[in-house]
Amino acid sequence: MSATMPLAPGATSIAQREAQDLLDQVEGVNTVVVATVDGFDVASALRTGEAARVAAMASSISAISAVVSQEARLGRNKSVTIDTEAGFAVVHSVYREDAELVIIAIAHGGALLGQVNYRVAQFARTLASA
Amino acid sequence: MTEYKIVFTGSMGAGKTTAIGAVSEIPPIVTDVTNNDASHGKERTTVGLDFGQFTLDNGDRVRMFGTPGQSRFDFLWKILSKNAIGMVILADNSRPDPLAELRVYLEGFADELATLPCAIGVGRLQTHASPSLDDYIDELARHQLVLPVLDVDVRQRSDVILLIDTLLAQLEANLFGE
Repeated sequence: MSATMPLAPGATSIAQREAQDLLDQVEGVNTVVVATVDGFDVASALRTGEAARVAAMASSISAISAVVSQEARLGRNKSVTIDTEAGFAVVHSVYREDAELVIIAIAHGGALLGQVNYRVAQFARTLASA
Repeated sequence: MTEYKIVFTGSMGAGKTTAIGAVSEIPPIVTDVTNNDASHGKERTTVGLDFGQFTLDNGDRVRMFGTPGQSRFDFLWKILSKNAIGMVILADNSRPDPLAELRVYLEGFADELATLPCAIGVGRLQTHASPSLDDYIDELARHQLVLPVLDVDVRQRSDVILLIDTLLAQLEANLFGE
């Protein structure tokens, strides 16, 4: 099994750079993965975990949230936040002309949700226009 | 009214989404997206779940859940099979090694298969005769399983209903559980 990467090489480099910046610059973030909508990792920066597995989970979460948005007639889905006892995960959709992608950032409880949300949304905008 | 939950699983492209859509009385819920897997020519693939339902003649309702086929989504397999009363495993006989693909699900759902009724539906047998249904039965025997193996075209509502009836017949005969 191998994925045919739908992304322009320039966009992949930007995804990788931005993922690393997010991990390095935002306190508490320990995993950032950019995935195709069918669950292949395109770029990643992780302190722990496995990018391939996180990518698959992110694509499932995104697909299920898309169905909820559709059924409720709420328009195109943008993001999902999973709030947990020990931290949170933010899953954000990226709509590009050549591919739809998903960004997931996972952070521990010390991170600020607003800050992570803001940075992930910014990352999604950058990647959408790259 | 009794409600039954049945899980449809099996390899990518075997027809899980199609099977549920063929019998569902409601517009099925599908979570398919663009496929980027170069080893498979399919345009779209399920990455979350499929859902559909239909009512039996006696008023009982069957809720059908489809899993993603790829093992990278195996975290969903356990979630979706929770509280199921039966499982349908679909195989695509046009794949290079359908029996190896079947093994993925026999192993991935080994705990469930020990207690749940299951039926195997083999698709595209008309155009790809090998492996035969007997080969599937032999493969199941190697996993100490005796399960019905049916030649199906899941685009045909009657074939999908046959699979479900096969599960329900096993339940009625009390072949599984206590």
